Amino acid sequence: MANFRRFRPDDLNKLSKCNLDPFTETYELGFYLQYYAKWPSLFQVAEDQHGNIIGYIMGKLESSPDVYRFSEHYLPWHAHITAVTVAPEARRLGIGRLLTEQLEVAADAGDAWFVDLFVRVTNHKAITFYKNMGYSVFRVVKDYYGEHSTDSSQSSEDAYDMRKPMKRDVKKEHVRDDGEKHEVDPSDVW
Amino acid sequence: MPPYRYGRPALKNTVDVQLQTAFSDGNWATVVRLAAKRAATLKDPYYEAIKMCAQSQLDGTAEKCAMLVAIDDLVNNKKTPDIDSIELYEWACRDFFDYEVEFADTLGPLRARWAKANPSSPLALQCLQACLEHWDLVSAQQIATSLDKAHANTADRRFMFWNITLTFLLSISPQCTDASRKVYSLLAVRQLDRAADLTESSAKLEATDRGLLTEEEICLYYRVVRNHGTKEEYISRLTSPKLGAIGQLKEGRKVLFCEGLDALESWGEWDLIYKLCHEALTLGLEGTTAPFFVCDLQIWRKFAVSASKVTDSDSALAEVQATLKKYIDIKDKASEMYKKNLSLALLETTFRLPAVALNPNHDSDGVSPLVVQIGLFLDQYFERLSAFDDVKGYMAELGFDEIMTIMDGVLPGILDENADKSRQVVLSALEYKLRYLLSTCPQTLSPQPTVVDGETQDKPFQCRLCDNPTSLPCEHCLKKLVADASSTYAQIADDKELLAAIPRLDKDPRLDLALVMGTSLLKLSGLKPRSSDTVQSLWQDVDPSQFLQAVLLLDTQLKQTPGDTELRLLLVQLYLLLGCTSYAYQLWTPLDVKRTIQDSLSPLFFDRISTLSPGLFQGSRPLMEPLRTFYNYTLRDKPPVRIWDAFSAGSYTSILDMTEYDGKLRRSCTVMMTLVEERRAIRCYGGKIDYEIQEHPLTDNIDDNTTLVDKTDYGPFPNLESAHGPAIHEYLRLGPGLSNERSHLAFLSEQFLDLLAYKPPKDYKPTRQSETSLRDREYTLETLSRLSDSLADFLHQPSTPSRLTAAETSHHTILCLLSAALFIVLSTARSDPLPKTLSLLIKSLKSTFSTASRLLATPNPKPSSHPQATAPLTGPALHALSQTLASSLALKHASSFLLSFHDREIARDRSGRSGLHRDVLAEMKALGEIGAKGAAEVKGVVGKMKEGMAEGGWLDRVLDLVFADGEGEDGGVGRVVGGRAGAEEWAGRVVESWREGVKGWGMVRIE
Repeated sequence: MANFRRFRPDDLNKLSKCNLDPFTETYELGFYLQYYAKWPSLFQVAEDQHGNIIGYIMGKLESSPDVYRFSEHYLPWHAHITAVTVAPEARRLGIGRLLTEQLEVAADAGDAWFVDLFVRVTNHKAITFYKNMGYSVFRVVKDYYGEHSTDSSQSSEDAYDMRKPMKRDVKKEHVRDDGEKHEVDPSDVW
Repeated sequence: MPPYRYGRPALKNTVDVQLQTAFSDGNWATVVRLAAKRAATLKDPYYEAIKMCAQSQLDGTAEKCAMLVAIDDLVNNKKTPDIDSIELYEWACRDFFDYEVEFADTLGPLRARWAKANPSSPLALQCLQACLEHWDLVSAQQIATSLDKAHANTADRRFMFWNITLTFLLSISPQCTDASRKVYSLLAVRQLDRAADLTESSAKLEATDRGLLTEEEICLYYRVVRNHGTKEEYISRLTSPKLGAIGQLKEGRKVLFCEGLDALESWGEWDLIYKLCHEALTLGLEGTTAPFFVCDLQIWRKFAVSASKVTDSDSALAEVQATLKKYIDIKDKASEMYKKNLSLALLETTFRLPAVALNPNHDSDGVSPLVVQIGLFLDQYFERLSAFDDVKGYMAELGFDEIMTIMDGVLPGILDENADKSRQVVLSALEYKLRYLLSTCPQTLSPQPTVVDGETQDKPFQCRLCDNPTSLPCEHCLKKLVADASSTYAQIADDKELLAAIPRLDKDPRLDLALVMGTSLLKLSGLKPRSSDTVQSLWQDVDPSQFLQAVLLLDTQLKQTPGDTELRLLLVQLYLLLGCTSYAYQLWTPLDVKRTIQDSLSPLFFDRISTLSPGLFQGSRPLMEPLRTFYNYTLRDKPPVRIWDAFSAGSYTSILDMTEYDGKLRRSCTVMMTLVEERRAIRCYGGKIDYEIQEHPLTDNIDDNTTLVDKTDYGPFPNLESAHGPAIHEYLRLGPGLSNERSHLAFLSEQFLDLLAYKPPKDYKPTRQSETSLRDREYTLETLSRLSDSLADFLHQPSTPSRLTAAETSHHTILCLLSAALFIVLSTARSDPLPKTLSLLIKSLKSTFSTASRLLATPNPKPSSHPQATAPLTGPALHALSQTLASSLALKHASSFLLSFHDREIARDRSGRSGLHRDVLAEMKALGEIGAKGAAEVKGVVGKMKEGMAEGGWLDRVLDLVFADGEGEDGGVGRVVGGRAGAEEWAGRVVESWREGVKGWGMVRIE
């Protein structure tokens, strides 16, 4: 039922199966097109037999600006997963995994050291998903999210910055085993 | 970004402090004085530029225009100012661009000249960016050519491909003259051909070589050749070893392969499609690429279809099966998604095999291979949410006997008696959906004699499933389906174990059951796709009882599954049809259709909304604001959003796609809908529309030749229908969907109303009244002539009748006739005889208006047993009411427009010669009276609606109707919704929404 291919702008007219789901954010046009303009190979979609988009991943390939070069939080050339979503009807088929794997292939082609992403510390399902794919917690970003997803009495929520080393990181220099113990502020994250 | 985007440019460091300070303080008079002095002393034209830049900031018109005159002089005399002066000019003109001044005629050529003279300067790049920011492709292409020449054979390959991309973009742009188009297209193709030849002939390319290296460069080449080259050139390159589709696949690049297959399919090149698919799939088996790299469903489909079309199709189809088998042998290594794709590919290939290749007796039970494959698929995937959607197309292709085998043999055998109960209900839900699907398939019917014993039969078929005489769909089958599904529904609702298991399932089976029951009831009610000839009262051809049962049932289900968007959207449409717009809006809002997805999804609620419920526009937040904001923000600038990002990243195909998308977005029917709906609502309440539609930035560049694009996304609707009939959304819409024809007619009609409503500003006192009056008249005549021609052109297009409701056809026809009549009236001299055409036009006007008015539905003053009184007025009737009102007011305003024109002329020109023809005056007055009478009729209908809603008893009336079919509260639907008591709250909401709608109509200014 699915085809995997690179995103095309016309797909924005076919996002309803994904974006009417309350857990998927809809962005301004410029946000989608920025990714398509700069990193087209990191913007992949899955479509069903009728042309509806049933999943997509948006990513970017970059490093921290030079001004942070000597900061301990400097990020070398890496890929970042900005958004990944699968329509409710297409879940449990491994589409999320396939899209993420495709982004990793593009990251390797772009000579990235690692792929990283942010996830709410309470989103256990997603954390397990990424851990099964070889991602590990690199650091905890305190109060990264402005609201708490499950506890309305709290005004913020921490994020895990998770990473997976790519082929370039032969010595696994950009991952660590005790990432949960490394806490940073949102201002340290670029 | 050039500095002018962020504020005034910095002056050169060589400029003295005094002038610098005055400039940065915005002390413009001082700047003018000091710059003039420095210019005289230093003879440096830069100071002249500073002076003019400062002058342009002063209040005087002459000072402001001095800058434009200077730029004009520079452009016309082929002068090239220095880049700092250009920056100053550009900043000073920033407010004029796209209004009085075209960048492409002024700063664009200056920047191109400067870049040509200084191609190696980093500032030349800034010139390119500035031109792209104003979408001046002519200048941008010239600059890109200069940059390419200056940076030939450097490692930065972007200069070469910017040049090619811009040359191509220019060749397909309206900015290119017809004379140059051929040259630019050839130029782009030849440059890329050379690059491609170099790549093919070189063992290894360096970054400095002018060949094709990256995937983006290669794909750009194919896009250009597909547009401007020949099919043979394209195919020849697509099969070449290095730059061909297979060569690129080996490099891990899939984009070209997919695009190439699409191109070949459009040309019907099946042999090559078959060859490429075979080679690509073999690469995966051999391990050259990742095993499932091209295992997409569309590749398998193309492989199977092409195999059936090649010369030796038998062996080709055998090869498809052999390849598929090899993949099935290794499918344990594949993800679930690819496993399912392979299962679907197996289905697809089986269905595409010619009948002779399918041995009907190959199975020991004599079961057809098609049935076997569907059975195998369902056996594996029946619990998946998408199972029905996956097989419904194939089911609809089966013969009747095969269908029966599936329904009676295959489905019951999927689970044994001891299977988990939740799995059993999931299978039951799928079975009900398939039964509904079959009711939409013609192979379940056999034709019967249309005349028996001299009497015409109203049921021309016999249903092969239940043997009853029927029309499509079979009523008996649908009724039985509702009864059976409601039993299963009740069984689930009464079983705690089952209810507890639901969260673990892909989908709540009650939702599927409700959808089956709801759509069955809608069909039973007689609901049909609402085309142009559908009657304007819903209840004239729809049984209110069954319709309301469907709505109630689906609404009850929404409470159980509020997160289901399919169901929610279905209900939104049903409530719009029912005339419950405020409640429909309540259901629509949680869908959170915002930002980018508005363009494709907003029409599902907002199309024709002003005609249904003008009151909805009276809320605290302007109803269309999110849409308007989205378009104003996204389409504010001329170039496609983020286009420079694509240039700087070297994403050449992104540039082409973004440009195409931007063009379509600017021509979107939803843009026109946004403007028109809001204007109609403003007019309803006598508000002032503060702009003429043709002057609105969003209608910039839209003329009669522009094809407006409908991009409405119907993907989120549930669709249990087969491809033999219309999709469900066509049954639910108020009328035909958005279209180029309807959008243009709405645009032209708004222009006509703008003309009628125009009043000069109060402080406008022209000195030469006669001359001004003559010019006004000329302008009016020119506009009327244009509008009348254009309206007639669109109305007479063969496709138009099917794109409009009957009410819309009448309204636009009336405006078309009116514009033509007004033109004749204003262009006929008082002393000349009146052309006969005028009387014909007026006769047509009267008859069209009278036909439209006769179709007005009249609500009964109080709830009664007559179905007409089920709602104050339903959606289609409200829509017709609104269009009649709009036509009445147009007649009235047109009459006033002419009479005031006549009065003005008589007051100005005492000779009376410039006034209107004597006979015309009477006719125009009569037309105005007809309009007034029409408006009064509408007012009467609204009054009756108000009166009716003020009466009590609506709630009981609605409930009586819902449970009126003799089935009683304990019947199928009653059991699901909790009987009459369970339906009371719903009926209350429906009646309340009608009340709100009528209240909104009561406030409409009908005069």
